[in-house]
Amino acid sequence: MPLFVAGLSHRNAAVGLREQLAVEEDKLRELLGDVQGAGVLEEALILSTCNRVEVYGVAEVPGEARAVAFRHLCRQRGVDPAAVEALLYTHLDADAVRHAFRVAASLDSMLVGEPQILGQVKDAFALAQSCETVGPALHGLFSRAFAVAKKVRTETEIARYAVSVSYAAVELAKKIFARLDGKAVLLVGAGKMSELAARHLVAQGAFPIYVANRTWARAQELARALAGTAVPWDELSTALSTVDIVIASTGAPAPVITRDTVQQVMRGRRTAPLFFIDIAVPRDVDPGVNTLADVYCYNVDDLKQLIDANLRERAREAQRAEALVEREVARFVERQGDVAIVPTIVSLRARLEDIRAAEVRRTLARLGDVPPETRAAIDAMSAAIVNKILHAPITKLRESARAGAGHSWLAMVHELFGLGRKS
Amino acid sequence: MYQTVLNLAVVGYVCATGLALAHLVQRQEALHRFASLATLAGWAGHTIALVVLVVEAGRPPLGSLPESLSVAVWVVVLLVMLVERQSGLDVLGAFVLPVALLLILKASTASPAALAPALGSAWVWVHIALALIGIAAFVLNFAGALMYLLQERQLKGRRPGALYHRLPSLETLDHLAYRTLALGFPFLTTGLILGAVWARSSWGSVFAFDPLALLSFVAWAIYAGTLAGRAAAGWHGRRAAYFAIVGFATLVVTLGAGLFLPGRHGS
Repeated sequence: MPLFVAGLSHRNAAVGLREQLAVEEDKLRELLGDVQGAGVLEEALILSTCNRVEVYGVAEVPGEARAVAFRHLCRQRGVDPAAVEALLYTHLDADAVRHAFRVAASLDSMLVGEPQILGQVKDAFALAQSCETVGPALHGLFSRAFAVAKKVRTETEIARYAVSVSYAAVELAKKIFARLDGKAVLLVGAGKMSELAARHLVAQGAFPIYVANRTWARAQELARALAGTAVPWDELSTALSTVDIVIASTGAPAPVITRDTVQQVMRGRRTAPLFFIDIAVPRDVDPGVNTLADVYCYNVDDLKQLIDANLRERAREAQRAEALVEREVARFVERQGDVAIVPTIVSLRARLEDIRAAEVRRTLARLGDVPPETRAAIDAMSAAIVNKILHAPITKLRESARAGAGHSWLAMVHELFGLGRKS
Repeated sequence: MYQTVLNLAVVGYVCATGLALAHLVQRQEALHRFASLATLAGWAGHTIALVVLVVEAGRPPLGSLPESLSVAVWVVVLLVMLVERQSGLDVLGAFVLPVALLLILKASTASPAALAPALGSAWVWVHIALALIGIAAFVLNFAGALMYLLQERQLKGRRPGALYHRLPSLETLDHLAYRTLALGFPFLTTGLILGAVWARSSWGSVFAFDPLALLSFVAWAIYAGTLAGRAAAGWHGRRAAYFAIVGFATLVVTLGAGLFLPGRHGS
């Protein structure tokens, strides 16, 4: 029975429609129940994120199953089915497998390599399992998809490079310092962005955290939130001499940290580098500090450049990942094909063996008293005939199953040899 | 026999160098695994070659400058494998193996020389062995400094390219340069002192008519200055890296002088 996926995603549907169609968890259970109840889907899984709504399933007639599933979905969300129907894409068998693998591996994501999608697919799978709409086909498909996603993550660098400002800052810090634990961080200005960057650094073990802000109350507030210490504004340069990483984000119209100040500070430090992350616009740190030894200063534009470069890296890695997925799809389809045809081959052999054994018995009974060598020869000859006859059809079955077109051949063999019927 | 096995080892090193450079560019884990295997294979072959040499000649494998270079490369490759394993610095091979390969190619193509008459004394063997362990450490020191300068350039330039992702942090690289300097220096120092003492007692002069001896003291002075600067004056990073590179260049000229100019170390 064909495996299929039908749905829409950020590639072909506007964000407004995707929002309208997104289904929350308890509604999803209801929907899975309805779809299953309609009786056209053998197995079903619904993946609903803000970037895609997709139905994975097994059905005799995928087109019908798709129509039923999305009719239920549209009714529940109050969306015009005609508008949705026109956008839906459908993939069958090997193409459906490829789609599932690509989605789980984050190759079909809006931001290629983003890590959330795998968790979302896993959740959708767990939910469908708890609704008992997952059968052997979807189980096989998704357990393999999770393995492929993991493989893509470890064998390519698709998700390795930072693509947000705060992560890019952490990545840079890790190229300056061997380790971030125990590195002191000073926040100059108490913006949301610098708080986010500071949290990433804290997550990597950075400690202690200092906050300097013109408004003392705000400095204290943010220091509390980050389990750090507030520093009075006029002690800024003293604080500079004790920290390793500075995140600046004040709204000041002119630089608050000058080259002279930093030069003074560096004189007393000897070996430790000082890393400025200047996310303020206009800039807080005099760009001239970058010419001082052991001082590294990145502003918002620099970080954005870095992110662009990283995105290009991701795109290159994505190509490698696509090749890996392609290999995995071929392997999966081949194995699936083998699994699908084994019962047929077994019953085909059993059927012919029954016929052969019965005919040999009859013939021997008619011949009466014959030497054991003759009996053995008749037995061997009949077995050889059966094997020779079976060879070509079984080879053909294996080949077509591996090519992903096993279904029609299986049906034909069942029909021709009267398999699966009690006789 | 020694030459045959050594040639096989060189083939292993050529493969290892190619694979390590490919890994630097391509960033595929599999390439690094193959590079490590090729390195190990080359080094194993090299070990056998040296054992064969010892058995055939019945003396330490340090009878001439090319032979000593071969041993130095053997130590370098061993150090690379140890540091890579211990610190996960998987790009080190790409920077050190090309240097090692050049040295071993020079060593393996040099025509075998008659044993220098000075090699009668056991102290001379020790002198050679210590000096070349020091040289091996300085090959890694050079690679660490080079990687530091490349990474520092990337970071200072604020437009990091592909190397930025491949190279480890500045702190790691500076630490590697410092450690290899601290490791190599005592060996080189002791080796040179033994050489000088022996030269004085048998020829009456430390430097007499020998360019290698003269130049090696220049190299030693550079390394001594760097180490003192690091230990006492807090030198680090770019300045220390420049010194490491100048020191290594002097060392290369020194060995070149030993190979190509007439003198008591001559091949």
